[in-house]
Amino acid sequence: MSRKVAFIAHCLLNQNAKVEGGAKRPGMWEPVIDLLRERDYVIRQMPCPELAFGGARRFWGVREQFDTQLYREHCRRLAKLVAAVMQQHTTAGDDVVLIGVDSSPTMGVDFTPSAPHWAGQPNIVEDDSTLVRGDGIFIEELKAELDARGLPLPRSTGIRHWFADYDPDEELRRLEAVLA
Amino acid sequence: MSVDPRGRRIAVVADSLLEQLLDELGAAGFGIIQLPPAGLDAPTTAAWLEQVAEHVTEFRRNDYEVVLASDGLYDGELAALELPQYAIQPPSTSRLIPDT
Repeated sequence: MSRKVAFIAHCLLNQNAKVEGGAKRPGMWEPVIDLLRERDYVIRQMPCPELAFGGARRFWGVREQFDTQLYREHCRRLAKLVAAVMQQHTTAGDDVVLIGVDSSPTMGVDFTPSAPHWAGQPNIVEDDSTLVRGDGIFIEELKAELDARGLPLPRSTGIRHWFADYDPDEELRRLEAVLA
Repeated sequence: MSVDPRGRRIAVVADSLLEQLLDELGAAGFGIIQLPPAGLDAPTTAAWLEQVAEHVTEFRRNDYEVVLASDGLYDGELAALELPQYAIQPPSTSRLIPDT
């Protein structure tokens, strides 16, 4: 019997993986988890590329800082794992979706943070990065890995709870459209 | 950024127990690391468990509390992490108390 399966960014189930100062909840981001449970989705938690690479004490970062050859190789290794799990679900006829985080340089689906001038001493008091259209680095590598396997990227969207104009109702409608 | 409310406690949870424990763990402020489901091929399972171990090691290095809610499927592979077992709460008995 085919199932509905949601691949979700690690931090949606584990807020401890967020960069320090970035968690919104003690444990998990319930608005997404609760919606997936209401809709009978099986949850598949993806690994956190930033935690595994930069550690729990990493500084905030933007796409330009993370976009190195070594970090891409790291993301590619994790993308092979996620793609292998996705492939086993799609082969079984399951309906697969992906939920990322649109304020992340790594897990962004439609947006990713950018600040070409961020470098050197970590003394940026105010976050002056901007959110630009585009994928995070892991999502890019996942797309490439899925493409190599002849698989499309599943229907996907990104959580925007760190956007200045975050609108929970808009996010719910966008999520529901992906999960429909 | 605002005050960070993270619980600094994490449960590594068997896929078979995830749905059952989500409410309980969430109420207790646990974040979750999901273990691989049964039925994946061996290399994919091994790669998933490797990621779990890397995450756990990093959290413990930074003094986060990490516990294991296991169904026994990967106890051998996880033994080296020496994670304390999460004590699953018994079902509520409130319904057994007659109305007064």
